[in-house]
Amino acid sequence: MTSWLVELGQSTAALLMAPALVGLIRWLKARLQNRCGAPIWQPYFELHKLFAKEAVVSTNASWLFRAAPYVVFTSTVAITLVVPLMLVPLPFDGFADLLVVVYLLLLGTFFTALAGLDPGSPFGGMGSSRGMTVAALAEPTVAVAIFALASGAGSTNLGHIASRLIASPMAALTPGHLLAFASLFIVMLAEAGRLPIDNPATHLELTMIHEAMVLEYSGRYLALVEWASAVKLLIFFCLLANLFVPWGIATTVSAPALVLAAAALVIKLGMLCVAVAVLETRVAKLRLFRVPELLSVSFVLALLAVTSSFVLR
Amino acid sequence: MPLFLLLGAPLLAAVIALMRSRYARLTGQVSVWLSLVPIGAAGYLWREVNRGAPVSAAGDLVRADALSVVLISCVSIVAALAAWLGPGWWGREDLRDYQIRRFVIFSNLFTLTMLAAVVSNNVGLMWVAIEATTIVSAVLIPLRLGKSSVEASWKYLLIGSVGIALAFIGTVLAYFDFVQRAGATTQALNWTVLVTAAPHLHPDVMRLAFVFLLVGYGTKAGLAPMHTWLPDAHSEAPAPLSAMMSGVLLAVALYAIMRWKTVVDLALGTPFTNRLLIGLGLFSLVIAAFSLVTQRNYKRMLAYSSIEHTGLTCLGLAFGPLGVFAALLHLVNHSLVKSTMFLLSGRLHERYGTTNLAAVTGLLRTMPWTGALFAAGMLAVIGLPPFGLFISEFALLRAGFATGHRLLAVVMLALLVLVFVSLLTHLNRMLYGAGVEGLRRGEDHAGALVPLALCLAVIVALGLVIPAPFWRLLTMGAAVVTR
Amino acid sequence: MMAGGLFSQLSVLGSSLALVFGLFVLWRRSLGAYVSAFAWQSGVVAGVAAMVAHFSGDHALYLVAALVFGIKAIAIPRLLTVMGRRFGGDRESHPYVNTEASVLSAAVLVLVAYSVTRPVVALSQLPTRGAIPLAMGLTFVSLFVVISRKKALTQIIGFLMLENSIALLAVLCTYGIPLIVEIGVFLDALMGFLVMQVFVYRIHETFESLDVEQLRHLKH
Repeated sequence: MTSWLVELGQSTAALLMAPALVGLIRWLKARLQNRCGAPIWQPYFELHKLFAKEAVVSTNASWLFRAAPYVVFTSTVAITLVVPLMLVPLPFDGFADLLVVVYLLLLGTFFTALAGLDPGSPFGGMGSSRGMTVAALAEPTVAVAIFALASGAGSTNLGHIASRLIASPMAALTPGHLLAFASLFIVMLAEAGRLPIDNPATHLELTMIHEAMVLEYSGRYLALVEWASAVKLLIFFCLLANLFVPWGIATTVSAPALVLAAAALVIKLGMLCVAVAVLETRVAKLRLFRVPELLSVSFVLALLAVTSSFVLR
Repeated sequence: MPLFLLLGAPLLAAVIALMRSRYARLTGQVSVWLSLVPIGAAGYLWREVNRGAPVSAAGDLVRADALSVVLISCVSIVAALAAWLGPGWWGREDLRDYQIRRFVIFSNLFTLTMLAAVVSNNVGLMWVAIEATTIVSAVLIPLRLGKSSVEASWKYLLIGSVGIALAFIGTVLAYFDFVQRAGATTQALNWTVLVTAAPHLHPDVMRLAFVFLLVGYGTKAGLAPMHTWLPDAHSEAPAPLSAMMSGVLLAVALYAIMRWKTVVDLALGTPFTNRLLIGLGLFSLVIAAFSLVTQRNYKRMLAYSSIEHTGLTCLGLAFGPLGVFAALLHLVNHSLVKSTMFLLSGRLHERYGTTNLAAVTGLLRTMPWTGALFAAGMLAVIGLPPFGLFISEFALLRAGFATGHRLLAVVMLALLVLVFVSLLTHLNRMLYGAGVEGLRRGEDHAGALVPLALCLAVIVALGLVIPAPFWRLLTMGAAVVTR
Repeated sequence: MMAGGLFSQLSVLGSSLALVFGLFVLWRRSLGAYVSAFAWQSGVVAGVAAMVAHFSGDHALYLVAALVFGIKAIAIPRLLTVMGRRFGGDRESHPYVNTEASVLSAAVLVLVAYSVTRPVVALSQLPTRGAIPLAMGLTFVSLFVVISRKKALTQIIGFLMLENSIALLAVLCTYGIPLIVEIGVFLDALMGFLVMQVFVYRIHETFESLDVEQLRHLKH
């Protein structure tokens, strides 16, 4: 019973933390670029503002346009229930599977792309086609990279992967793990719409992918979509942190373990935010036809991770 | 001692040419005289080996057995021919001094590396020497800078080096196998030690190693499909270099394959290597035969003919002891004939100014003696009696029938007929006809034709009767490969 | 036992890193990226050789590591950079095989390498045997680089990486080969590179570009 409560608790915590993550990255980038930058809580104010505003919907849009933000938000929240955040093993262990995570992610991407196409605006269509290209290359990589870890741990259950790694720390330095980490990091940049694949701060026709898909949204719809993309970023950070460096995760439902887990999670997320902020400041956005090259490199790295962890079992 | 002389003479010639920074005729002449020393050393070694014992020196690092002596004789004779008929002796009007000096240095280094490869007992050092031959000969191909020669030499260098690197992987794998059984020693890469340990080597690893070795050394030998560099390199190189490359470098690469075949056959039995050799040999023969039909360049024609003969030699190696004997005989015959042909083609090039087949007509009228020798050499290359190649090809086919490869031998025969028809057609077009307007008639440097005529006479002699000491040497050489 | 585990892990790690640098050459397009990838790869190979020397007690390998580092990680990249500057911004804009296909083919080649070296890994008793397929994979990837790229300088880098992979293979399979052969191999590789360098200048002289596609005059 308590584990269910903890599960819901950590999911809510994830929902609440996500905008702060985005705010932190923006603030760090601003500081690196010698600006003052908005405070870390700025995304919360934005969400608050958006929920209060009126949603303007195009006359060409259908029910899909109105339903999509809810689908995307729900699927993303569902993922937070099956990803190891602070407690392992999860009560949802029956379905806390790698493939479930991949399909839920894909569900969200699919509906976002449809919502981009629905109102019939040119930017939306363009964004959807670009977004699906990126997704088509990135989703298999997520599966293969985590599968590399799964073959080492003997199960595709994410919680089991994390606990297996806690049990044998030396496994974290195997090439399979390192290659999978590199691969998943690149995919995280792709899925979360970060540089060098997509610029989250632009609305220029040439350069936007995710922003183009959600360009028509306003008011509460936009708030849900923005929140969902922040949660998606958090999910990927948690995957990177807790599948590869799981120490700190609570294995028992006890107060000190959970507090330690929360602190460890915050620290790991903070480090990843710093890494992403520095990377975004250093690199320029890739030209669109070069994005498949980068993503195929990450796919190959994931493939190599699988072969090496399979062979060295 | 003889081994020291063998290797020392070309080294000395190269060093002398290197030290004289301004080229003088004397350097070239010294190089030519020094090139006769390895022939003497070869003769001495032949006598020693015929008595039954291989000669070794430097702690078994350098060793000459019957197989080595066969190759040493070929290399030294062809090298002497190339030196004598090259720009070092007669001088050339169209080559500048620094080019002739470069030729003398590098052709001697080339001879040195080939001889080192053939007398080295250590398969690692054999590899080093063969890689060195690639580098040294690649420097000489673009002696006259031009688009085609630069292209040819770049392809040669790259494909050759990459192929040879694969051969090294094979060497490492074989070394690994040996070390697994017997522990690492400095002697571990000696061929004699490998042969003794071969029956205990692990078959799977040796199979893998042989594939790499065959592909690697096969690239140097001109086996298809790794032959793409050969027509370019052999046609763009200056004639004496082409003579050495086509005549003996291919033979040295085949020698490396033979050495490894012995080791692998002892570990695996003959079927595996035979199958691979038949496959590649046949493929080379097919490619060469069909490429010869529509040739437009007489030097490339000779190069494709080299590919054909390499293919034949490989097929011979797969036909059991009889086949190996025939292959060795074929190797010797081919190196003499092909080098003669390339040197003659050099004379043709000098006179006609082009390597285009269509441009060369009326050869018998323009240069009667060269034309006659060219015709004789071409008939020899085709494999007609009374030349020696007829005997070796006949022995090859007979060995093929004897080991049960009847269909294969028939296919070989058909391809040889195709080659016969193509080459004869080309030859006819070259020999007869009115000749080119305004071209000088008669022979320059008629004395240069004497050694070439001598070589062809030797080929004819080998076609009529094989002298007993030579027969004995070839038999012992074949025994080395098929022990 | 722990040391054996660490040795094994480190050798696999080093070889994977060398392989990843090889893949880098298939991904990037500029000569500068290739040269730094090659330099890093040589450094990693030298590191693996030094590590094997430390764990196996064979001090000749320290010399090999020093040679690889000095010549291939420092001297040759410097020469290549000079050449690159001399010949301007030659970028592999249209290789024979495009980037995505190249990278995927490289993955397939690594899988082929795993299956090809199965007998070797099965037979080997050394703790470094897990890394042997990766070295072989690097060999195949380097071969692919030589075949599929159009610029002469890239082909040279492919050849140099091939030499690196062979050195790595020798170190992993048998803790190195007899010193005299090793020195000979080294000299050969060095001479080969120097001659290739001279050729690059000649190609540029005669063709005014380093595009190997121009070298198509000799057909059939």
